[in-house]
Amino acid sequence: MTRPLLLLLLLIAGLAPVSSAEAVWEKSVVTVEVTFKDYDFFQPWNTPTRSVRKHGLYIGGQEIVTTAQYLPTETLVRLQKGGRGKWYPAKVVWFDPHADLAVITSEDPEFWVGLRPARLAKAIPQAQDFNLIRWKDGNLESRRVEFSKFTVKDGSLSFAPRLTLELNTDLGGLGWAEPVMLNGTVAGLTTSKGGNTCNVVPAPFIRQILEARAKGRYPGMGYFDFVWEPGENPTTLEHLGLKGPGRGAIVIRVPNRPGVDPVLKPRDLLLEVDGFPIDVAGDYLDPQYGHLLLENLSSRGHLAGDMVRMKVLRDGMETNISYVLPKAEYHDDLVPRELFDHPPEYVVAGGLVFQALDQPFLRGWGEDWRRRAPFRLQHYQNGSPTAERPSLVLLSNVLPDPVNVGYQEARFLVVDRINGRRISTLADVVEALKDPKDGVHRVEFMKGDTLQSLLLDAASMDQATQRVIRRYGLPAAQRITEPAAKTKTQGTMG
Amino acid sequence: MLSKTLAVAVLCLTVLGLQAGSPERSVIQILTFSQQPQFDSPWRSDNVRRSGGSGFVIKGRKIITNAHVIAWAKQILVRRYQDPRPFQARVAYAGNDCDLAILEVEDPSFFDGLEPLEFGDLPAVRSAVVTCGYPAGGEQISFTRGVVSRIEVQNYAHPGNRFLLAVQTDAAINPGNSGGPVLQDDKVVGVAFQGVPGLENAGFFIPPEVIRHFLKDIEDGKYTGFPEAGINLVPLQNPAYRRFLGLPEDGVGARVDSLRPGGPAEKLLKKDDVVLEIAGYPVGSDGTVLYRDNRVSGSILFQTVQNGETVKLKVWRDRKPIEVEVPVAVYQGDRLAGNQYDVPPRYLIYGGLVFTPLSADYLRTLGRDRPDASSSALFYELYYRRSEDPGGARSEPVVLSTVLAHPANANLRVRGKVLVNRINGVRIDCLEDVAQALGQKKEGAHVIEFAGQDGFECLEREASAQATPQVLETYGISSDRRL
Repeated sequence: MTRPLLLLLLLIAGLAPVSSAEAVWEKSVVTVEVTFKDYDFFQPWNTPTRSVRKHGLYIGGQEIVTTAQYLPTETLVRLQKGGRGKWYPAKVVWFDPHADLAVITSEDPEFWVGLRPARLAKAIPQAQDFNLIRWKDGNLESRRVEFSKFTVKDGSLSFAPRLTLELNTDLGGLGWAEPVMLNGTVAGLTTSKGGNTCNVVPAPFIRQILEARAKGRYPGMGYFDFVWEPGENPTTLEHLGLKGPGRGAIVIRVPNRPGVDPVLKPRDLLLEVDGFPIDVAGDYLDPQYGHLLLENLSSRGHLAGDMVRMKVLRDGMETNISYVLPKAEYHDDLVPRELFDHPPEYVVAGGLVFQALDQPFLRGWGEDWRRRAPFRLQHYQNGSPTAERPSLVLLSNVLPDPVNVGYQEARFLVVDRINGRRISTLADVVEALKDPKDGVHRVEFMKGDTLQSLLLDAASMDQATQRVIRRYGLPAAQRITEPAAKTKTQGTMG
Repeated sequence: MLSKTLAVAVLCLTVLGLQAGSPERSVIQILTFSQQPQFDSPWRSDNVRRSGGSGFVIKGRKIITNAHVIAWAKQILVRRYQDPRPFQARVAYAGNDCDLAILEVEDPSFFDGLEPLEFGDLPAVRSAVVTCGYPAGGEQISFTRGVVSRIEVQNYAHPGNRFLLAVQTDAAINPGNSGGPVLQDDKVVGVAFQGVPGLENAGFFIPPEVIRHFLKDIEDGKYTGFPEAGINLVPLQNPAYRRFLGLPEDGVGARVDSLRPGGPAEKLLKKDDVVLEIAGYPVGSDGTVLYRDNRVSGSILFQTVQNGETVKLKVWRDRKPIEVEVPVAVYQGDRLAGNQYDVPPRYLIYGGLVFTPLSADYLRTLGRDRPDASSSALFYELYYRRSEDPGGARSEPVVLSTVLAHPANANLRVRGKVLVNRINGVRIDCLEDVAQALGQKKEGAHVIEFAGQDGFECLEREASAQATPQVLETYGISSDRRL
């Protein structure tokens, strides 16, 4: 072969959507179309839907793995192979938004014909460039992406931190579970992209979760529920009684969980976690991925309920403790970040609309919600749930009706009590409204500069509620999911 | 035949008539050279700024203008109508809550030939007014005519957190008009003071009620301010609520929703009291009163009396009317949540750590109009803590504003913009607590705890004490404190 011909062939190979080396991925990478409920949190009785397309990876056993995003509220899932042609009906057989993973299958045997399972890498070497594979306009596109670093980040849908592979690329439109390949194996699935940084959930993490699930022993993601700060100030370390070179991270806040006796205390100096020494930045030296935040030790080979050994310096003495990883649950927060286990709940009573205060509601203010949503409501996110008040309910709106004249402007007020009963959930609202006092319902709001109380006629309440339902076209006066039905954030569907 | 004597008499009358009908002669141009402090580096000031405003002569050889015209002034020059000479003036009184100020001129000859303008009454809506002053865009006096559009309680932008009666007009009020008179029949019916961004053909002036209150306040030689009663009055228009309280649906009476803890009315009124009358004015169910043919918030009636005086209320309680006399007082508890003027920010520097009170002015230095995750605790502390958690509120929350780099503080992870909770175990309620907590520590390291999730830091005691004078010298700071 002459040199010009070789160059020409190379050039053609470079321009082609996919090189012969990557062509095999055509049989492993599929397109996933998800139609999901995109709730209107300002009118929670509305359930608009939206559709997106993302990628899935065939891993054998008639299972497609993909990221969990958009799947928890799906109404229709379809699969397509080869980047074009027929769409096959599919169903989600398992998902966990905290792990940001889901498994999909199709009952149509034709779909599985010709597919070849991809292999998930057991370990990923550092400082290697990767190939990103995606279906684009019916063709499989393969692009080289540059390794940036391994880091530890919260999940796309979760506060639980995990190992994350950061890649550098100027490719647009990523984060739709595009597989990232290395040496014939799958190194991970993309989860998001910001600037030139593309975040990837790495294959070893995916393997860990899927293997536990396959064994029927997946209890959910664990996490460290305490707050710490780096021990970078030698004077502070000395104050805590540390002798010798600086090391360790300082525990500054331990949640007060009902029924749980915390094993850590504020001002414990974390010296070792799971056998790894912790440095003053709060990092440990991972044998595979280098220096990582100690948070990764909550998911490195561990799941919820696992015991993690820790060595702390407490009152000047080194002490060994056994920390049991709590399960990551959205309701661990006073203002839950997500509520995939149930549709947005509401209670409409006499035109007053009560809703749970959660982050999806705050995100109703749009992309710029952190700037636009009322500050006071947002600030509740910094609060902690207590046994007395595990969650919050707000008067989100008033649908004008003769019964609520005078209150039409009342909104975004967190409810303290109704008819003297403390309100934490919408079920509390319903119960409290069964017990009016002196012929009226009294709604009291949290102490502050805003409206403190309002009062409605109890006798005309039901009639008014029915009038509001008719006039505003509501499907029902309330939607509350039974507690038993929202015990899990991970789910088996189908 | 017109005698010479008669001709002189007619001329005199004409001159007198001109004087009486030429109030512009008493309108003063004010040039202010001001310098604002930097609230995050409180020993420093911004560059000197030049700004222009207006004022007018009142009785007692004084000039009245807006407080914002002379805020943070280093030098004030005043000029008479068509007189090129600048005269030095000084601030005699500044009422920052009502945006009014009184100036005195060092050279008494300034007032020679100037007649004080007289005040009229609150102008009627739809009546014509003329604004008069020295707005931007030229050097000469300017007049604009308009009508009174409406009269309502408005937020006064200068203090930021005070609501007083104001008059809206479509007469142009532009920068430089501030402090100038608004005239009707040659009498002052207001002091021009602010516009509202986004509102076209809408300027606002301070009505005679507010001006007279200010002038009466300073009669004792000091300015105290507009009082209030600490009553949160809300509309009572829901039929069920009215029935529950035993009131007919006659549109009278507004409900006491809450009372400010420690406020003058806290022990005199109760929640769900219904205020039927304030100072003899019937209160509507929307909380307004009919005041000189205008429906305005009943709150203005607490502002018509002076600090320490009382206001009579007719209150509906337990299904019968009672009379209650409520004292009113100037509220300073939210001083830091409003804009501050003329008193430089307090601070304390220790080992390079700069402590200063948390204030609205300080928060503005963070450069955001809305709080982010890092400043959320500061916003809450300043604007919400006092009303939601009065027991936990601090009289003067203190922030570690910044850390001036020095080897003694080089290892500190926290570099500023955090609320200080405790120092050496002492709760920090004001800046003096910082000085005391640091001063009383005799052994071991200083332990500084921050509010929110910011944890704590330790500071080597002897090294940081020794560092303070070095830091002052390095950064050119004349004093380690302004307390």
